[in-house]
Amino acid sequence: MSQTSKEIFRQLGLYSHIGMTSVFSVFLGLGFGYWLDYKVFDEKTAPYLTFIFLGYGIAAGFINLWKLTTRMNDEENRGDKK
Amino acid sequence: MEHPILFINVILELIGLPVPHTVVGHGLAEQLCVPYMTYTWLVMGFLIIVPRITMGNLEIMPGKGQNFWEIVVGGMEDFFAENMGREKARMLFPMLATFALYISVANLIGLMPGFMSPTSNLNITLAMTVIVWLTHHVLGFRYHGFNYIKHFLGPIPVLIPLMLPIEIISNIARLLSLSMRLFGNIMAKENLLTVLFMLAGAYFAPLPILVLGVLVSLIQALVFTLLAVLYCSQAMEEAH
Repeated sequence: MSQTSKEIFRQLGLYSHIGMTSVFSVFLGLGFGYWLDYKVFDEKTAPYLTFIFLGYGIAAGFINLWKLTTRMNDEENRGDKK
Repeated sequence: MEHPILFINVILELIGLPVPHTVVGHGLAEQLCVPYMTYTWLVMGFLIIVPRITMGNLEIMPGKGQNFWEIVVGGMEDFFAENMGREKARMLFPMLATFALYISVANLIGLMPGFMSPTSNLNITLAMTVIVWLTHHVLGFRYHGFNYIKHFLGPIPVLIPLMLPIEIISNIARLLSLSMRLFGNIMAKENLLTVLFMLAGAYFAPLPILVLGVLVSLIQALVFTLLAVLYCSQAMEEAH
């Protein structure tokens, strides 16, 4: 495999990961909040924890995106120096 | 996931072993004869026996078989080393290379009639993902000691209540997305092929899907390995 196609496959892997991770983060947050609200605290806190953890989930999706972008940026800079 | 004919099932039924006709069997004997288990063992056997036969004795002037395996193993090692450094790549090489070889072979055998991909079952992919997930956390604790916790706490102490749940959620999302992607892609390919074979098997209708299947199989194997490498190297590098 040449260097370019290797790089393309690498980026394909990294970027195809983004969509899934964001979606799963959001739903995990929502699900955890829902579980806390309706199973653990018996609807006493509903619907506040659901919304709080939904917020956490969305934030987690974005943090993942942020981390990946900074990482790619670092790698590009390192590549330039070589 | 129910293929028209799975040849291992036919053989097992001839011997007289109970082969379940649902996805999960009842009782130990049936669970051991579930197609994804038997085909996992087939892939394992393939990966143990075929290199033994084709490689022959290791020589200084490599023959055909040895050349091939040297390229495969050397290429993988270079690929890991690019992402995590030569020394760490050597340390983790057995695990990562096993994943790469196993997943690519397991994906590809599903393209042949009479075989199925063990990776089209969530049990197999989730098991592999749990291994990767636990390994990268264990490596993190080994390289940083208790300071590894700081990876999850964000840059400043004030942000801890915000960052800790976020990091935990995104960590569990890793577990899910890694296993679900491999499982989803391969199961989609398998089901599509099954349906096309049954509807239009006599003609060349499944051919484009077979071509796409080769591509998807290899890319998914590569992506799984790449992400395992990235998670491990992230856990091992210094916190910022």
